[in-house]
Amino acid sequence: MKRTTSLLALLFSIAAMPLASQTQIHPEIDPSKAIQIARIAIPRPETTLPLETINAPFFAPLTRDLAYSGVFAIAPIPPNIPAGVDLAKAAGAQFVLSLKLDQVGEDFNIDARLLDSTGATQFGKRYRGGSAALPRIAHMLGNDLVRFVNGKPGIFLSMIGFASNRTGNFEIWLMDWDGSNQRQITRHNALSILPSWSADNERMVYTSFARGTSDMYIINRRGGARTHVATGLNLNTSATFSPISNDIAFVGSVAGNPDIYVVKDDGTNLRRLTHDSSIESTPEWSPNGRQISFTSGRSGSPQIYTMDAEGSNVQRISFEGEWNDDATWSPDGSQIAYTSRVNGRFQIRIADLANHQSRILAGEGSNEQPAWSPDGKWIAFQSNRSGTWQIYRMRVDGTDLLQLTFERENKDPDWSKKGD
Amino acid sequence: MSKSFKSFAVTLVLLAAVVVPACQKKKPVVAPSATATVAPATIPDVPLTVTTATVQTVTEPTDFVKTNTDVTTETLPNDIGELNRVAQSRGYIADAFFEYNDSSLSSDAQTALTNSATWLKKNGQYNLLIEGHCDERGTEQYNLALGDRRANQAKEYLVTLGVDAARIRTVSYGEERPFDPGHDESAWSKNRRDHLVLVGR
Repeated sequence: MKRTTSLLALLFSIAAMPLASQTQIHPEIDPSKAIQIARIAIPRPETTLPLETINAPFFAPLTRDLAYSGVFAIAPIPPNIPAGVDLAKAAGAQFVLSLKLDQVGEDFNIDARLLDSTGATQFGKRYRGGSAALPRIAHMLGNDLVRFVNGKPGIFLSMIGFASNRTGNFEIWLMDWDGSNQRQITRHNALSILPSWSADNERMVYTSFARGTSDMYIINRRGGARTHVATGLNLNTSATFSPISNDIAFVGSVAGNPDIYVVKDDGTNLRRLTHDSSIESTPEWSPNGRQISFTSGRSGSPQIYTMDAEGSNVQRISFEGEWNDDATWSPDGSQIAYTSRVNGRFQIRIADLANHQSRILAGEGSNEQPAWSPDGKWIAFQSNRSGTWQIYRMRVDGTDLLQLTFERENKDPDWSKKGD
Repeated sequence: MSKSFKSFAVTLVLLAAVVVPACQKKKPVVAPSATATVAPATIPDVPLTVTTATVQTVTEPTDFVKTNTDVTTETLPNDIGELNRVAQSRGYIADAFFEYNDSSLSSDAQTALTNSATWLKKNGQYNLLIEGHCDERGTEQYNLALGDRRANQAKEYLVTLGVDAARIRTVSYGEERPFDPGHDESAWSKNRRDHLVLVGR
């Protein structure tokens, strides 16, 4: 019932914003979590500006963010009732979001107020920025409203790094959490793959074949020079920043023996963590930086293991499936998501580290390379279900699936560590 | 020599000139049974000398092997891409193929690498890049590591056969650059390989 209501609410609000992107929105809210969800009415912004100038860049992404927030359910809005007590009553909403917009020169002023059911302002903030900043303001306001209601940071300003070949070679790209604002970050004109975020959301480390062999590079997402991190080893793949230091874990190889290594981001202090003669690959730090998960073929097939950050205390984590890879830790460190072959197809599997129970998030095609959202509620991954590799997003329970990329082929998603 | 014998001999020569080269040319495409039924019926009682003379006449200008055994080395193209095409097509260097999720060298792979080593040792003006490749059935990250191992298996083997290790570089492309874009074993078996690429020194 709750699910139906929220869906109706969303359809209603979509009808009220004719220029918004109307596809791909189908939130399904878990009834067990319904008690935490606040009904919010969002009337049209008060403004003398033409609605089409603010709808697509601001109102639509804001509404989408809140619809997917897991914190708000958007209430149907009866027509022609201004923001206030009457609207809250008519919509049966706990909150009403009052928005006023005007333009001063090139800038937009956005006055946002969250009213409670008595019409009292519970939260108020003014945002100002040019037209290019409107989507960012929408995500900031969405984050502020989420934080106001549940005290936790939102993820609407998080970004997903990925590799795309839409310019010819695979290069590193970025997009916002909702798939908008896709922009190219590297221009190596050479195979460039596997981006991974730093803890401060400022840098990505990745692999490029720009010099003919696979090398490790670091790039600042705001632009500027890229750095080649020379390790002296082969491969230099699967590089990933420590959440607590300037260390980078990666796969290095000497004489055809790929192992897990750590190096500082300036290329110094190289340390070897695994010493097995089998193939080791795909390291990933635990959120507290004390452990590293990795893939090893030491049992005869690729399986997931964890070890302490200095290489000791190795434990096998995956036991089902004959090929497991791409392990990545949930932000609270309690779970690991990985790629697991089931009946000949790769699926995303989530395993609980405490009891070793795991579940499969089944989907069509091959589904690989999971990446957690900063709040641990979403997984981005790549799938070839459409016939080409594309990046998708879903909740950790597998619902609210959304395709984020469409152009040529896109893969290797990595979600930024912060979203606000 | 009587007139009838002369004309008989001419006919034989003509027949042989037509039949012998035709048989040689068609050998790869025509079914063996077709040539077997035609040839014996056409030249039943040919004296050995006549046949020999005919064959010599036909093939006379094409035998260059005896005159210059070094010709293959000297005529290698300067363009490195063309060189690689020629070297692969003539079998001077040959790619090594692998089993699924395996980096050990099969006997076929060893043969390919042995031939390649022989040629590389004779042609010291070139270096070698070994690209390790995997089929799409694994995962991207693990396959990059697997490709590295495959490339280095071949490198080690070439070195044991006497190729200078300093001449060989390796790179792994994992499953990034399949040779066959298909999604079946026929494609996968082509994509699990060490691709040998000649590079200038």
